[in-house]
Amino acid sequence: MNDRRIWWFFIVPCMLVALAVVMSLAAVFQYSFREFIPGSLDTGGFTLENFYNIGRPLYFLVILDTLLISLLTAIFCLLLSYPVAYALVRTEAEWLRALLVILSITPLFTGEIVRTYAWMLVLGSDGFVNSILMALGIVSAPVQFMYTKFGVIVALVHFSMPVMIILLATAISHVNRDYEKAAANLGAAPLVVFWRVTVPLTMPGIVASTVVIFAWTMSAFATPQLIGGGKVLMISNLVYLQGLSSFNFPVAAVLSAVAFIAAVGSLALVQPFVTRLERRVAQQ
Amino acid sequence: MAIRMKGLLAAAILLAGTGIAPAQEELVVSIWGGNWRDGAQEAIATEFTKRTGVEVKFVTGGTMDRLTKAKLSAGAPQADVTLTTSHVAYLYSASDLFEKLDVSKIPNLKEAYPIALRSPYAIGLYSYVYAPAYRTDLMPDDFKITSWKDLWGDQVKDKLGLPDFDPSHIIIAAAKLSGADAKDWKKGIPLLEKLKPNIKALYQSDATSQELMKTGETPVQVLLSINAYHQMSQGIPIKLVIPEEGGVVGIDAVGISAGTKMADAAYQFVNTALDPKVQEKLCELYKCSPMNAKAHVSDEMAKLPGIFTSDEQLEKQILVDDETRAKLLPEWKSWFTENMTR
Repeated sequence: MNDRRIWWFFIVPCMLVALAVVMSLAAVFQYSFREFIPGSLDTGGFTLENFYNIGRPLYFLVILDTLLISLLTAIFCLLLSYPVAYALVRTEAEWLRALLVILSITPLFTGEIVRTYAWMLVLGSDGFVNSILMALGIVSAPVQFMYTKFGVIVALVHFSMPVMIILLATAISHVNRDYEKAAANLGAAPLVVFWRVTVPLTMPGIVASTVVIFAWTMSAFATPQLIGGGKVLMISNLVYLQGLSSFNFPVAAVLSAVAFIAAVGSLALVQPFVTRLERRVAQQ
Repeated sequence: MAIRMKGLLAAAILLAGTGIAPAQEELVVSIWGGNWRDGAQEAIATEFTKRTGVEVKFVTGGTMDRLTKAKLSAGAPQADVTLTTSHVAYLYSASDLFEKLDVSKIPNLKEAYPIALRSPYAIGLYSYVYAPAYRTDLMPDDFKITSWKDLWGDQVKDKLGLPDFDPSHIIIAAAKLSGADAKDWKKGIPLLEKLKPNIKALYQSDATSQELMKTGETPVQVLLSINAYHQMSQGIPIKLVIPEEGGVVGIDAVGISAGTKMADAAYQFVNTALDPKVQEKLCELYKCSPMNAKAHVSDEMAKLPGIFTSDEQLEKQILVDDETRAKLLPEWKSWFTENMTR
């Protein structure tokens, strides 16, 4: 097989998949220009009214909540995942590395629903956390974790951590340790070496993984649905409520478009910054 | 020859893997999962198969998910018969997803209450209510419910669970308490807004409702009577109350998919489902009210809240016609989501 044939062998399937994705998105987005007819599964003629609905307080607040929850999930995920990824890459004890891999990566192989139900058992009024708090006398009545943004973020951070750990571990493993040794030889304390050398060298990975988790959380559905209990709504939940409960496919399509643009837009906005960082790190 | 045999074998394996059967030899019935499917299997499908020799295959899913799938497969229906709520059955028929029924092929319909014929496209099989219910072990001893307005009381603060997939029950109840009806539901808005501090969570399905009641997260709920009795049978101390204003009656209906190739069997299934003995069994399992007037309801069951054995009893409850409910539901849902969830 010559180079050209190999090229086509890979490019044709990619083009077909891309075409299928574009056509699916087009099929969804065309609904955003259709008129909603109550009591019918069919849509009416062309209208722009659905886009004006986005300015309504609920939609606006849910979009803001989605951005806030996604941002906080990404930040907390980074703060908790970096030490784990660092230990995973740098530890010389094989047993510790194996343990960290098992603890951090295996949750990937359990579904979102299973993990979310586990958090419901942990965060519920008579769940694990409240039982401990009450048994220790720290609180006299159960603390409300369920149906709050806090509960949703906790479950989303746990859900996203395995992916973040993999991305950060890759970035940390690419750091040339000679730089850290040179800094240490010049008298820098371990914490200073970490803060002034390791972190800057892994910055492209930090930014890229944070953006990935931010964009991935934007589409969260089951976790806010179950932990939020209808009191914490993200865009996907609103799409479901409008599309599949009210059959208002046009508004659901507009909301889907907003979520899509926000996720792709955030990736596109950050990409030049990541590229610049990567170049700067490569030059050092 | 060897190559051809291998080809045939590969095709057979592929066909089996994709689940594509060479020809349909069973009646496909769309229904909710869990105890809904189990009850329909035990009461209707078993008798239907005994009478016709045709096996029943149930496909399960949520009310709206199944409607969406039906819409997407219009013209080549994946189910021959669909059981759904009567106002959603209106949406099926409005979208030409149900066949116009030839009632002469459903002789048992003659014995049914008049409200069983929901439309020329759907027939009610049984009724139930959405009404207030609470955990007797988790609420104060002096707590009681006699009216819908008790849900607004201080004792219910941060304890109430409501369905978010269909908020019509509380909206209709608030309208009634405000001296209006479903069509003038906006008169109940001030009252609904006062209910917000009492709402702890909104449930998205029967399963979530049962989970919230079981764990005690929402010890007071606007609850489907069938689910209440199902959980009581599992030992959970629940009291279901029909308020003095009446419970909000719901009717589950059956329709035959437009374009089905199993029309004869589908009619026989519907007729079997309306058979008095089948209705007795179904309602004993679900703890619901039969649509066939000749179906016997035991004295013990007839005393249960939400079980109706006559037209007069039903008329004392809150009944909304399917078209009004189907057309207002999107508006109710939008208002509820915008104003009650945050």
